[in-house]
Order: sequence, then C-alpha cells, then structure tokens
Amino acid sequence: MEKTLNKNNFDSFITGLKKQGYKTIAPKKDNKLVTLDEIQDANEISLDHVITNNSIKEYFLPKTEKILSYTIEKNKVEMKEPEGFAVKSVIFGSRPCDAFSLPVMDKVFNWDCVDKFWVERREAVTIVTISCDKFDSYCFCTSVGLAPDAKQGSDVLLTKISNDEYLVETVTEKGENLVKELESVFSDPPSGTPDRQVATVEKKFDIGKIKPWLDDNFEHDVWDEFSHKCIGCGACTFVCPTCHCFDIVDECSMTKGDRVKNWDGCQFKMFTMHTSGHNPRNTQGMRWRQRIMHKFKYYVEKFDSTLCVGCGRCSRVCPADMNISEMLEIIETEAGK
Amino acid sequence: MIEELRKKAEELLKNGTVKVVFGYGEGSVPERTRPVFITKPEDVNKLTWNKYCVYNLTTYLKRQETRKLGKPALILKGCDARTIIVLLKECQIKREDVYIIGVTCDGVGDPLAEKCKACDVHTPLIYDDLVGEKRENKEVPFEERYAELDEYEKLEEKDKWEFWQKQFEKCIKCYACSNICPLCFCDRCIVEKNQPQWIDPSAHPRGNLSWNVTRAYHLAGRCINCEECQRVCPVDIPLNLLNKKLAKEAEKSFDYRPGYNIDDELAMSTYKEDDDEDFFK
Repeated sequence: MEKTLNKNNFDSFITGLKKQGYKTIAPKKDNKLVTLDEIQDANEISLDHVITNNSIKEYFLPKTEKILSYTIEKNKVEMKEPEGFAVKSVIFGSRPCDAFSLPVMDKVFNWDCVDKFWVERREAVTIVTISCDKFDSYCFCTSVGLAPDAKQGSDVLLTKISNDEYLVETVTEKGENLVKELESVFSDPPSGTPDRQVATVEKKFDIGKIKPWLDDNFEHDVWDEFSHKCIGCGACTFVCPTCHCFDIVDECSMTKGDRVKNWDGCQFKMFTMHTSGHNPRNTQGMRWRQRIMHKFKYYVEKFDSTLCVGCGRCSRVCPADMNISEMLEIIETEAGK
Repeated sequence: MIEELRKKAEELLKNGTVKVVFGYGEGSVPERTRPVFITKPEDVNKLTWNKYCVYNLTTYLKRQETRKLGKPALILKGCDARTIIVLLKECQIKREDVYIIGVTCDGVGDPLAEKCKACDVHTPLIYDDLVGEKRENKEVPFEERYAELDEYEKLEEKDKWEFWQKQFEKCIKCYACSNICPLCFCDRCIVEKNQPQWIDPSAHPRGNLSWNVTRAYHLAGRCINCEECQRVCPVDIPLNLLNKKLAKEAEKSFDYRPGYNIDDELAMSTYKEDDDEDFFK
C-alpha cells in the first residue's frame, strides 16, 4: 500500500498512535546526542540527524533485563518469570540499517533456543523507518548489500519526496494494519513518479572478497597491527545494532535473587577468561579478529547473513578511531594481492 | 613542529634509544587523529600534530600489547606528561623505561577542550626532549581552575542527586571510561571481581551508580584531568565533572595536585604516624 504523510500531520500521527494504545519511540535530541527514546509529543522528534547514537537493539535486547526472580526457603525454591516486558509500541524514524538488523538477529534468537524476550518484543513492536536523505563518512550500508532506502526489517518505510512530504510504503501486514488504523492522517499516493530524496552512499569495499580472505587468514599480522590502538572497551559492541552477546548473572542474597541478562562484548579481556586463568583470546588482536570473523565469516556460514548493517556507529564512537570499514578495505586490498 | 617531531622520532629509532614511538597519526576523518605506534624509522612520516591530538598516549603504557613493542618514546602534551609523574610515584613505570618527547601546546579539541581553558602546563613539567617553543607556565588561580564546577555547586543536594541519577541512567557499562584512563591500571578491576560481587555488573540504576562513583573515587587525588573518560563516553555522561569535584576536594583537604611535583607525597597512599590530620587517627 502506498500513501503520503505530511510533516504537519506528524502531530496527529503521534496522537493517533497514543489513542490506539501504542508507546512511541522516536529520535529525540538530548544535549549532544540524538537518541531513540520514548516521546509523548511530535515536537520532540528530531529529523535532521544522520543516525541516532543508540541503535534499535535496546528495544529488543535491553542493556540489562531480569529474566527470572527466585526465593529460596528451607525446602522450597520458587521461581517467577517476568511478565509485561513486551509492550505494544511503534518505533518511528529509525533508519533502514537499524531496521535490517532485526531480521538478521531473528535468525540467532530463533535458532536452537527460542529467546522469548526477543520474539515477543518483535511481535509487539511495529517499525516505521525513515529513509536516509543524508549520510556521513562512517556510513557504509551499500557495501554490505543494503541501501539508504532498504525495506527489509521495516513494517512501514517513509521516504522524503518534498520538504514536507513523505512517501509511505507498507512493507508487512503489520505495517499495513498500522496505516489502516490511522488512515485519516495519511493522504493518497502521489500521481506519477515521486522524487525520492535518498542519499547516495558509495560502496567502500566489495563484500564478496571479504569472506574468502577470512577463510584463509585466521593467522595474519594485520589483526595485531590494526588493533594496537584498541583500548579494549566495549563501546563498539554496545552501540552496534547486531552485536548480541550477553552475560547472565545472579543478583541475590541467601534467600532471594534475580537472574539478569546483561550486554557483554568480545572486546573485553574478561569475555573469554576461563576460571583457570587461561584466556584463549589473550591479546586484543585476537579479540578484534573475533569481531570481524563473527560478523563476516561465522555468522555468514551459520545463518547465511552478514552480521553488520553498515551503520558505522562502532567507528563513530571508538575512543581510539578504530574504523571497521577501513579494516574491511584493508582486507579487500590483501585479498587482491 | 611536525617535521621536528618526525626527525626526533627517526633519530631515536635509528640510534636504538627506543623501539617504538607512541604518537599521533592522521585519523579516519579530517577532524580526528589516532594513536600510532611507529617502530621503523621509515614510517615516521605517519606522525602528525594538530589541534585534534586529544589522546593521552600514556594509557598505552598499561596495555600488554603495546608494552610488548619495547621501550617507548611518547609524544606528550603538558597535561599528559603529568600522568607520567603519577605513574612514577605509584611505581607503575621506571623513569628509564620511557623516553618523553614533550610538546608545547596551546590547547587541543574543537571546540577547545575544557581542560585547556585553565591550562598551566603549556610546557610539560617532565621530558627528555622538548619539541616546540618553550612557553612560560603561568599559575592559574584556584577558582579559575575549578570554574567548570560553579554551576554544579550551586545546585541543591537533591538536585545534584537527580542530576547524577539522570546521567548515570544513560550508562551502558562499556567501560570505555576506565579502559582509556591511564591511571585505571589495575590488572583486574574491582568490577570484574565477583567473589564477592562488589559492584553489580548490570547497567541498572544501582549498578551504574556504584560503578561510576567507584571509578571516580579511585581517581580522587590521582586524576590529572586529561578528560579522556569524558571524551570517549558514548552516552555523553559528564564524567569530568565528577573527577574535577573530587580533585577540588582533594586539593582543599591535602593541598595537593597530582602530577606536578615528583617530590610531593601522594595524597591517598602516604601514611605517616605523625600525620597531623585528626580524622586519620
């Protein structure tokens, strides 16, 4: 289904969502950052950014969440599972790269163990994406097979067609239902071919050359050389929309506790530390290699999908200016040797 | 100045004084630089110097990967060189293990970093060689040095609490703040210890408060105000406000500023039986 949405109608759109019982999450300016955050009013929406600082991931895999509570008595252990974690919501104004990260990660969260926290949230949340009309030098979606107006993962895609107007394309049944629910705020589709204002993001490397090189180069000097500057924090993995590793800890006393799932990341020294003290990935080069291998080799082999959507967040936040697309360009060059 | 730096680096690598030079290289975008580790004299052209040289390169003295490269020469601004004095005092390095190429500096960052506004170390206080014209280090009055805190200190207690709760709520526990810090050098951080679990690893309000406050307290009387933690925080928590407040309290209580004088006793790890501070006894 195609429609148009005028910017002036954002207000009635957001109000309409509220009336229909949706919680609305949208890009919101907060000092130096623009973050996907809950909004009450259309005025809060920021539209002039390239990409939000936080990714869409935290609405499906929060940085911390309780997965179980328990009490321990003399002859009895009682466990209680959390409820109400999946809230009917709309994420409005996320980017196509973020939206695409969801079907990519559906594969792992529905694999051998179905992660109900992920799955139920996926069902409860509708994604209304806005195509990118600008980009910065960190963006590389087109190099990993995406586009600034890619539809995969979105339920509805909006694309700017004039200063005030967006073309509305429904992608899924869920998206179609949402547009139907709020029909009055949309207008008829434009006659003729609309002028889609979409950024032109040039390709930085040929993804086809990456995996074959990785297959042969588990041992290579480039891993250490590139990562000398890495300080071993987890910023890259935590802002990444597709990094999904987590740790499970118990926060407890002698008689009661919560089992909690927290983000974890392969760049931390402790991530692979064994109880014995042995660490199979005991240098930053090995840990950096793991990040690249997981995204561009292991995940491809297991799930037939690259675990990177080219959003560039990891490179933007890196304290030491490690740049993932630069690494992939180096690999492409090495592959050509 | 860039040429001078490159020449110095080349000379030190050629004559075997050092095995590696920790310096600044061009970044992935024009408004960034990045740390580079030069091991071959022919690579010295990778070194650069400009207002984006914000990093405090002494942090690489704690990392095993960069330690393995051999004896380093470090390109250090006045603020960064203060770290060396603290590291020496805290027995983390020996003076003969590092070669210091001091650079005189008029400030870094765009916009100018907060720390540069009240800089009193335009010329480093410790170095083996100095690159750039020597500048006079003018003393900056106490109030001016802590001017950043003026607004914050006017807040009521409950507003301060609210302010920090809101800031810490954003924390994602990526530990960029502690990993970038040259003075967070514990091989195993308290947050990584779980028997007992001193600090909740979860990024919830309790865990975030205990982490951020612990980090700041471990730096009280030690932090040299390089502002790296604040620069790298991906969620924009004003960490330096915390550091600075504690530095101010430490200075008021002990009349001590870390990293200025190698002969000063450390504020936090010096014990004397005849200590005249009453609260100590």
